[in-house]
Amino acid sequence: MLHEPDTDADVSQQQPANEPYVEPLLELKEVSRVYGSGDAKVYALRDVSLRIMPGDFVSIVGPSGSGKSTMLGLLGCLDIPTSGTIIVGGKTVTGLDDADRTEVRGRTIGFVFQQFHLIPHLDATGNVETALLYRGLSKSERRRRAIESLDKVGLGHRHEHRPVQMSGGEQQRVALARALVTEPKILLADEPTGALDSQNAENVMELLTNLQSPERAVVLVTHALEVADAAFRKVSMRDGRIVSDMTRVR
Amino acid sequence: MKTFKDLLMVSLTGLFARKVRTLLLLLGPMIGVAAIIAAVGLTDSAKGDLKAKVNKLGTNLIEVSASSAFGGQDPTLPEDVLDRARSVVTVKSVAKVHELANIVVTPYNEAKDKYEAVPIPVLASDVLLPSVLEVNLISGRWLNDFDEQATSRSAVIGIGLARQFNYLPGETRTIELGNIRYGVVGVLSEVELEPAFDNAVFITFSAAKADFVDTDKILANKIYVRSQVGAEKDTSEALKVAVNLGGPDEVTTDIKSEALQLAAQSDQQIKLIVVSMGILASIVGGVGIANVMSISVIQRSAEIGIRRALGHTRSIIASQFLLESLFIGLLGGICGVLLGIVSIFLGATIAGWVFVLAPWLPPAGILLAMVISVIAGLYPSVRAAKLEPLETLRLG
Ligand SMILES: Nc1ncnc2c1ncn2[C@@H]1O[C@H](COP(=O)(O)OP(=O)(O)OP(=O)(O)O)[C@@H](O)[C@H]1O
Ligand SMILES: [Mg+2]
Repeated sequence: MLHEPDTDADVSQQQPANEPYVEPLLELKEVSRVYGSGDAKVYALRDVSLRIMPGDFVSIVGPSGSGKSTMLGLLGCLDIPTSGTIIVGGKTVTGLDDADRTEVRGRTIGFVFQQFHLIPHLDATGNVETALLYRGLSKSERRRRAIESLDKVGLGHRHEHRPVQMSGGEQQRVALARALVTEPKILLADEPTGALDSQNAENVMELLTNLQSPERAVVLVTHALEVADAAFRKVSMRDGRIVSDMTRVR
Repeated sequence: MKTFKDLLMVSLTGLFARKVRTLLLLLGPMIGVAAIIAAVGLTDSAKGDLKAKVNKLGTNLIEVSASSAFGGQDPTLPEDVLDRARSVVTVKSVAKVHELANIVVTPYNEAKDKYEAVPIPVLASDVLLPSVLEVNLISGRWLNDFDEQATSRSAVIGIGLARQFNYLPGETRTIELGNIRYGVVGVLSEVELEPAFDNAVFITFSAAKADFVDTDKILANKIYVRSQVGAEKDTSEALKVAVNLGGPDEVTTDIKSEALQLAAQSDQQIKLIVVSMGILASIVGGVGIANVMSISVIQRSAEIGIRRALGHTRSIIASQFLLESLFIGLLGGICGVLLGIVSIFLGATIAGWVFVLAPWLPPAGILLAMVISVIAGLYPSVRAAKLEPLETLRLG
């Protein structure tokens, strides 16, 4: 992926000359998100700019109400900013209509939520398959990929279990399998271990850490310090602003 | 196409996952459709035997008789009445008869006193009469051209008369017509559209002229016409003019199955009332569907949110819910039709009626259920599609 020459050449200049230019997977440019109006106006996000590069493993930390979830929703094309521009994979999504935004989301982004959000009447395979619907795949192909994805998160023995028959940790791993089955470039996780006990949390974190790859970016919002410390890059937020953005030396 | 297949699968899975809810939803359209089917079917079945009779006998037999305008004796039809009748384009077949007056009919001469008091009609008839009436002979044969030309004393009698005179089928018997002995060559089956014929004697025009008429001509005083089906009324009017044109007498016509047809008509008022109630029940069922689906959309908002997050568009979500209600309508309609048919069958059996089910009823019932369910599902589906994924998912 070649970088367009006129945009922010300074970042790329620090790379060795023989390395190819890399385009950010996700970019927020002076993005604000305001809820409500008049006296009830809440600035959930104020003029935030952020770049997520391929290979990034980012943790977003900050006190409650600082705008972490709001930012994740905007990064995932689940929400529209009040002002500013969002670029996903080189494509400006602000201004796209809902159907096109949904298409971009389905193609490039995977989600994991604190509350798992599995569909209760479907078994594990069915839940994972849901991510592959309406993509022109045959039923058997969908199944094959879903089972493969479940096997990757260590749930080979739970294919036909429904959510109520599984522990929280297992449910979150099904959710992870569902997020990964479409092979998204970007994985967004909002407090993925927030509803889990420490043993299960560790398990899920291990799976997430193993997802690091040069093509993919993983962004996770978390309160847990040990989780945040597992990340190479840490973005801290307060009152709807990014107060620090630090990357470890590799 | 693949997308539609996926949608179908998702909707059906959604319905089957909540069997009790789905069954409850089915009840509305099902009861409505069943009521409509049963109402129409039972009112039709109540007259089912008469309807069957109308179908069997046909609605297109027309009787054209000469009637005297000025109280004159023995009015007759013109000599060329058959040609005149055939000149009406909607006439398919025609036969003429002449009712002879005052002939005493007895099985044999010695029984004269016993039968004298009972007037038995004697008719001169042409060879085509049974084919126009569409009746067969119980036994023997009808009068034929040879009888006509040879002036043979052959007679065919009605089934009622055969019973009255204790004639056994196939037996060679004679019958006395005013002292003249005729050979009975056949017995005519029951003529349901002209019951008088069951007790009548039929002979040829030539024999009638030779034995019973003084004038040098014997003219028909009645003809029977089969018209094209559906053109009975027009044919009847046209015949009045065509047959009588220029003649001195008047002509009256009678469509023979008119009364029967009237009797066979279903009770429209009762039908209308019960059908309206059925439609009302379907609409109430539809309101129920709208209600339960709306609640369902709220209950399933997290499911909708996650589907949206996974890349399902608003229109996919709307279609999913709309298809669910379409299936509820389809299933409810089918169950309703089956229940309705069972009701008609039970009702008709208990009341001793003939089972009648108009062929358009089942598809119409299913269609109605589907239309109502889809309309009912419209609002919840749009609501489901309008949900904002972020609001339903409530990120941690
Ligand atoms: N739908 C909404 N309507 C009004 N205000 C909202 C809405 N969603 C979020 N907010 C407000 O925006 C601000 C940021 O919320 P956000 O959920 O992003 O915080 P967070 O950093 O994720 O907090 P937590 O750690 O508790 O999850 C908060 O003040 C919140 O009250
Ligand atoms: Mg949050």
